[in-house]
Amino acid sequence: MIKRLSPRSWSLTTKFALTITAVVAGVAFTIGAVIVAQDSRQFYEELGANAVILARSVAVTSAKPVLRNDSWSLFKSLKKMTSGDILGGFKGAQIDTAMILAPNGTILAHMRPAEHPLGQLYKESMDEAGQTLLGRALATRKPVVLAGGNGNIGFLEGVAPIFSDEKFLGVVRVRLSTYEIFQKTLRSALIVLGLTFGMVLLGSLLGVLISRRITRPLTAMTEGLEAVSRGEFSTIAPIPVIDDDELGKLATAFNKMAAEMAEKKMLEEQIAVRDKLVALGRITAGVAHEVNNPLGGLLNCINTLKNHPEDPKIIERYLPLLDKGLHRIKDIVGSLLVELRVEDATEISDPSCLEELKGLIEVEIDGRDVNLIWDNCLADNVCFNGPRVQQIVHNLMKNSVDELPEGGTVSFCSFQDGTSMIFEVNDDGPGIPAEHRNHIFDPFFTTKPNGTGLGLWIVYRLVESMHGVISVESKVGHGTQFRITLPTMELDA
Amino acid sequence: MKRLLLSLLVITAMTTPALAGHTDADRPIRFGLTAVLVKGNLRFLDQWASYLSRKLGHPVEFVRRRSYREVTDMLDSGSLDFAWICGFPYIQKRQPEFMKLLLVPVYKGKPLYRSLIIVNRDSSYKTFDDLKGKVFAFSDPESNSGFLYPQSVLADKGVTKDSFFRQAFFTFSHAETVEAVAEQVADGGAVDSYIWEYMKTFQPDIVNKTRVIQRSPLFGFPPLVSRLGVDNKIVERMQRTLTGMKDDPEGRKFLAGLKLDAFGEFSPSLFDSISKMAERVRKAQPWMAEKKRLSGFPDK
Repeated sequence: MIKRLSPRSWSLTTKFALTITAVVAGVAFTIGAVIVAQDSRQFYEELGANAVILARSVAVTSAKPVLRNDSWSLFKSLKKMTSGDILGGFKGAQIDTAMILAPNGTILAHMRPAEHPLGQLYKESMDEAGQTLLGRALATRKPVVLAGGNGNIGFLEGVAPIFSDEKFLGVVRVRLSTYEIFQKTLRSALIVLGLTFGMVLLGSLLGVLISRRITRPLTAMTEGLEAVSRGEFSTIAPIPVIDDDELGKLATAFNKMAAEMAEKKMLEEQIAVRDKLVALGRITAGVAHEVNNPLGGLLNCINTLKNHPEDPKIIERYLPLLDKGLHRIKDIVGSLLVELRVEDATEISDPSCLEELKGLIEVEIDGRDVNLIWDNCLADNVCFNGPRVQQIVHNLMKNSVDELPEGGTVSFCSFQDGTSMIFEVNDDGPGIPAEHRNHIFDPFFTTKPNGTGLGLWIVYRLVESMHGVISVESKVGHGTQFRITLPTMELDA
Repeated sequence: MKRLLLSLLVITAMTTPALAGHTDADRPIRFGLTAVLVKGNLRFLDQWASYLSRKLGHPVEFVRRRSYREVTDMLDSGSLDFAWICGFPYIQKRQPEFMKLLLVPVYKGKPLYRSLIIVNRDSSYKTFDDLKGKVFAFSDPESNSGFLYPQSVLADKGVTKDSFFRQAFFTFSHAETVEAVAEQVADGGAVDSYIWEYMKTFQPDIVNKTRVIQRSPLFGFPPLVSRLGVDNKIVERMQRTLTGMKDDPEGRKFLAGLKLDAFGEFSPSLFDSISKMAERVRKAQPWMAEKKRLSGFPDK
C-alpha cells in the first residue's frame, strides 16, 4: 500500500498529467493573482481620485454658503453629491459619509445630521485612529486622499479645503467605502480561482491525452518485453509506429528486435526438433545396430540347428550362443524399458530411500576389494522423486564400481546447499579420457565390452526431467566426480 | 464717418428692444412667484400661464425667484407687473408705495392660513421651549409664517434667535424647511400651514417625518399684488380672470392643483394682525426696522 502511494511507483501517465496540471495551474494562478492585485490597486487609485474629485466639487461651491452660514445649502450640496447624478459615473463607489467642517472641527454640514448635529464639534465615532485622521484632514491645505478603517470596512477619504480669498474656511471630507472594491477583488479572486480550476481540469485532460499518446507505445513495448521474457513470441503485436519521433524510432527498433527474436526462437525450435530427430535416429540406429549384431549370429545358429537337428554337439555349442545373444537383446530392451518406467515414476520420497541403494551397491561390490563411503547428509524433511534419484545414483555408483581397480574407493555424499540438493559420486578410478568426455551421455556410447551405453544417457535424461544440472570432473588416473544439483521440491507441489 | 455710423447702428440695436417693450402691446405680463408655491412642476405653471394668457388675450409669464426680497425689488423696478408674495412684505411701509393688493387666495373656505412650528417626528420636543439650544430652520427672512411669527414667539420670551437657538439658518422655501426638519438638519422649523398641508398630499413621505408642536393664530393668506404703475385695465382683467377661475372648469382644475378654493377680493385690513405682530417684534428687536435694507440675512 505504502509503495503505491510513493510517487516513484506512479505510472508515467499519472506523472505526466500531474506535471502538466501543476504547471498549468501554477501559471493560471500566478497570472490571475497578478491581475487581481493590479486591478485592486487600480480600483483603489480610482476610488481615491474620485473621493478627491467629489470633495473638491463640493468645496468649490461651499465658500459662499460657509461665509453666509447657510447650513442648508451646504447640506444640500452634500446631499446632491450622494445622489445618483454625480455618483453615476463612479460605479461601485459608495459614499460612506461626507461632511463639511469648520477649521476648529465644528460641523457645518454632515450627510447624517441626526448623528452629527450642526454646530457641534465633530467627534470621530471610531477611535484614536479616527481622531488622527480628523487632525490630518483639518491640517491639510490642499486636496489629499486619506485612508482609514480596516479590512473590508475600510474607506478612502477625499479631503478638500474651502478657501475664500485665501482664507481657510473649512474642509470637505468625502469618504468612499472600499467595501465594493473588497467585494470586487473577492469576486475577481473567485473568478480567477474558478478559471484556475477550469485550467487544471483542462490541463489534466491535456496531460492525460499527451501522456497517453507518449506512453501508449511504451506500454505496448513493456507488454511486448514481458511476453518476450515469458518466451511468448507469437503474442507480440507489433507496436504501432505513429510518428517518426524518438518514440517512433524506438518502436521501430523494438519491432525489428522482436521480429528477429521470433525468427531466432523459431530457428531454435527447428534446431531442437532436428536434434530430437537426430537423437531419435541415433537411438533407433543404436537399437537396430545392437539388436542386429546378435541377430545375425542368432539366425546363423538357428540355421545350423535347423540343418543339424539331431546333432547334440551342435546343440550344445549353439544353444548357449542363442541364449547369450537373446539375453543381450533382452538387456538392451530392458534398459530402454527401465528408463521409460523410471521416467514415468513420480513417487515422492525422503532421503531414507537412498539407504536401500547402499545395500544394492554392497551387493555389486561383493567380494571385491573396494571401499564404499556413504554419507547421506540430507535432512529427513527433504523430499524428492525417489525412483528417479535412486536410478541416477545407482547408475553412477555401478559405473564407478565397475571401473574401480582393486583397493579403489567409491563414495556417495548428499547434502543441501541453499535451495538445492546436491548428490555427489566420487571414485579414485582411472578417470574418463578427454576424447570420451563429450560422448559419455550419448546413448549407446560405451567403453565396456558388455555395456549397453545407456546408463549415463538415462542419468542425463532423468536429471534433465527434474530440471537439475549434472556436471562431471574427471582426471585420468586420479578419478571422477559426478555432481547432480536438483532444486528442492515444494511439498505442496 | 463709418465709425459713427456703426456706433449709431449699435446704439439703435441696443435701444430698440427696450423701446419696443414699452410700446408693444404684446409685451408679456410678468407675474412674480416665490417660495409661497411649492417649487417644481414647471409644466403646471406653464399650463396655468397659457391659460391666463388665453383668458386675458395677452401673454402671461411666470417669473420665479428664490426670495421675497428679489420679487419685491423686481416689482419696485418695474420688471414685474404682478406678484404673489407674503403678507409680511405686503404690510411693510414703503416710500413711495409701489404695490397694491390684488386678490387673496381662499384656502379651505377662508383667506386665512397660519404658521406651524414643526419638529422631526422621532424627536422628543413637545413645546417651543424644548428647541432652546437647538438648530432651527426659517424659510425666508421676509416670510410671515416662516420668520416673523417665530420671531414674535422669541420676542414674547424676551430672547433673540441667536441667543435662543444654537444655530439657525434660512432655507428660502417652506418646502425645504420641511425637508430640513425631516432630514434632521434642523431640530425645528417654521412653515406655512398651506404648504405643509399641500406637501402632505403630494410629498407625504417627507411631511410624515415631521410633526407640529405649535400653531400660530390665523393670518391673512399670502396675497397677490399688482404694481401701481400697471395699466388699470390690465389689473382689472387680471382680477376678473383670476376670480373667474372658480367658475370655469379649466380654472377649477388649476385651483385644484394649487389646493385652493378661489381667488377673492378682500380688504387690506385682513393683514392687520401681521402688522401688529411686526410692530411687536420691531419693538423687541429694533434692528427689524432696518429690514428693508437687508438683502437676505439679518445681521448678527
